[in-house]
Amino acid sequence: MVVIMGDNSRNQLTQKSLNLPISQTENTTANQELDELRSLLLGIEPRQLNQLYERLNNPQIHAEDIGNLLPEAVQLQTQKDRQLVEAITTTVEEAIKFSIQKDEKTLSEVIFPILAPATRKAINAALEQMIQSLNQTLEHSLSPQSWRWRLEAKRTGKTFAEVVMLRTLVYRVEQLFLIHKQTGLLLQHLVAPQVSAQDGDIVSAMLTAIEDFVKDSFAVGKGDGLQSLQFGELTIWVEESPSALLAGVIRGIPPQELRLAFQNAIAKIQLNLAQQLDDFQGETAPFAAAQPYLEDCLGVQYQKSASKKYTYAWSLFGIVAIALGIWAVFAIQEQRKWHKYLAQLNSEPGIVVIKAERKSNGKYLVVGMRDPLAKNPQELIKQASLPPEKVIGQWQSYISLDPQLTPKRATEYLIPPKTTSLEIDDNGTLKASGVAPQKWIVRSRKLWRFIPGINKYQDRNLTPSELTQLNTYKQQIEGNNLFFLAGKTKFAPGESKKLMDLALVIKKIVQVSQDLNQNITIQIVGHTNTIGTEKSNKILSQARAQKILSYFQKQGFKKSIFTAVGVGSSQRLLTRSKKENRISNRRVSFRVFLKDKLK
Amino acid sequence: MLQKKICMVGAFATGKTSLVAQFVRSIFSEKYQTTVGVKIDKKTINIQDREINLILWDLHGEDEFQKVRMSYLRGSSGYLLVVDGTRKNTLNKALDLQTRVEEAIGKVPFILVLNKSDIMDEWEINDQEIKQLGQNHWTVIKTSAKTGLGVEEVFQTLANKILEG
Repeated sequence: MVVIMGDNSRNQLTQKSLNLPISQTENTTANQELDELRSLLLGIEPRQLNQLYERLNNPQIHAEDIGNLLPEAVQLQTQKDRQLVEAITTTVEEAIKFSIQKDEKTLSEVIFPILAPATRKAINAALEQMIQSLNQTLEHSLSPQSWRWRLEAKRTGKTFAEVVMLRTLVYRVEQLFLIHKQTGLLLQHLVAPQVSAQDGDIVSAMLTAIEDFVKDSFAVGKGDGLQSLQFGELTIWVEESPSALLAGVIRGIPPQELRLAFQNAIAKIQLNLAQQLDDFQGETAPFAAAQPYLEDCLGVQYQKSASKKYTYAWSLFGIVAIALGIWAVFAIQEQRKWHKYLAQLNSEPGIVVIKAERKSNGKYLVVGMRDPLAKNPQELIKQASLPPEKVIGQWQSYISLDPQLTPKRATEYLIPPKTTSLEIDDNGTLKASGVAPQKWIVRSRKLWRFIPGINKYQDRNLTPSELTQLNTYKQQIEGNNLFFLAGKTKFAPGESKKLMDLALVIKKIVQVSQDLNQNITIQIVGHTNTIGTEKSNKILSQARAQKILSYFQKQGFKKSIFTAVGVGSSQRLLTRSKKENRISNRRVSFRVFLKDKLK
Repeated sequence: MLQKKICMVGAFATGKTSLVAQFVRSIFSEKYQTTVGVKIDKKTINIQDREINLILWDLHGEDEFQKVRMSYLRGSSGYLLVVDGTRKNTLNKALDLQTRVEEAIGKVPFILVLNKSDIMDEWEINDQEIKQLGQNHWTVIKTSAKTGLGVEEVFQTLANKILEG
């Protein structure tokens, strides 16, 4: 008889054999019988069987076994497919999250050594990509090829971007359709950027219809499906899983790796969304989870530039660098000029700079106070070679007590004649020297007090210009001799004219002496030569002097100004010859006496 | 978004394409253009406070030369069985098609559409026959793709039936 027992029956039997509360002898006998029966039925030694049960019931042993098998099992499964990876992804993510929450230091220490190289690599890659992109942009804008493409765009009516894309594109996945296989309904639709797409629902239905049509129309195998459609530059690749179709609309010539990417994506979608696909009743929301897999398939590849020298990019960088260099040189120069201007302003007496800054519009602003007598800041701008339109000056007027400005101010106030010089000593004493009109001298003596910075006024070394004139006139008058005929009071020929001229000079000297507050006296001295007696000569000389006096009185001069004396031949002029002596002493001479009225 | 596939089936020249055109674009053309293969259209409607995307498969009409490809009906949530009221044979064709469709895709909601109700005086199907159809627990709706009469109703009714399961 053959008895077939299931696993459960065997276990129950063993349990019973181990646990029944029968007397010891009966127990032993029963156990032996059972052992024999087991041996007969299973062909296994009871000892081995017990070991097996012990192994199965001991959780410690299970853990050890799994521990031994686990590395190999993981390795094998990973080599086989990515199911295990995907299965443990969530667990690993959670574990990492937990580790960070527990103690972020642990993971930081682990990641730190790779962080810096990874960052460097990422920055390098980003820079490389940026330069490449810039180079490509410039190449598409400036190269001869780009101009050919522009002509082509104009000729064909396409946009330049379209022509560039067509000429440089290897392939681009423009649209992806995830379609429910059973219904042909669209589950997900992805469109590449800048691609105009038709209604995805209709397109997916049409694709399904085409596949159905082909399947119906031709004797194709049950498992066969539409794999590829080609229309001009467009290729439609279809990959299918048991429940879904993935159709990609590709422009250009796609590489085989893309097909693998499609296969991989549809396999993952089938794996992760199998239940949703089977239960699909028209609700597409759950299939949003498929988007990441689809995004992996939205590839694009452009023809790589043969040269990696990035000529255009480096040329642009060069131009930018040169431009920057030139700009920097000009900026530095301008900055220097600005500082020079400020230094000049600060050193200039009568100018105080309160604020100086460069404004955002590139102009300079200088705010300060300026004495009207100080230098014009506009002139300083020119001196500093700054463009005047770039400098905005805001100046408030003030009176400066700078010692350098005081003489200027004194000159401004007093307006001295050219013959007068003004000096200011350290004590603030204004010293006037030279020659000046009396009126100016008088006026200056009154005005100096109103000049800021002047404490005292001194004009000791200042001579009134009228006094000089007075002396000149005096010398002119005293240098004159009027000659007479021998023994007479009649003028020698030509002397009348001299008298008239003399009268004019006397008029002037009288006027000037009045201005200078001086008393003037003119002595008219009559002379004779030695011919004749002393007495007669005295009378003649007196008569000659009297004649001149009369003339002056007739001219309107005051009589008190003049005195007329005859000295005969007592004050003779000596010349070389006797004859000359006789002629030259028949004369009238003049002496001028000036006296200060106050004295 | 909920999506449902609906197929238009019936004999040739019964007005399937016109019904879809009237429903989707509110237009009607007197000019007859036979459908080759299948035409697909789409309209979003609101049923029971839910937006439903109806994907309308307008299949070519069946005649003695070409049969309706049942593979096109795969995955349909419902279908409209379109009959030309002025041609009695289109009703017979519809009955035949209904049997074949049910064999192909199983029992799904459908509506028998008696089209061309704008020319009732030319109809070859009388009320008695229509009543008989109703006794089979079929939903029968008269429509006119030309005037739009019953068009919206027929699609709404089918969508409701689909949602009710």
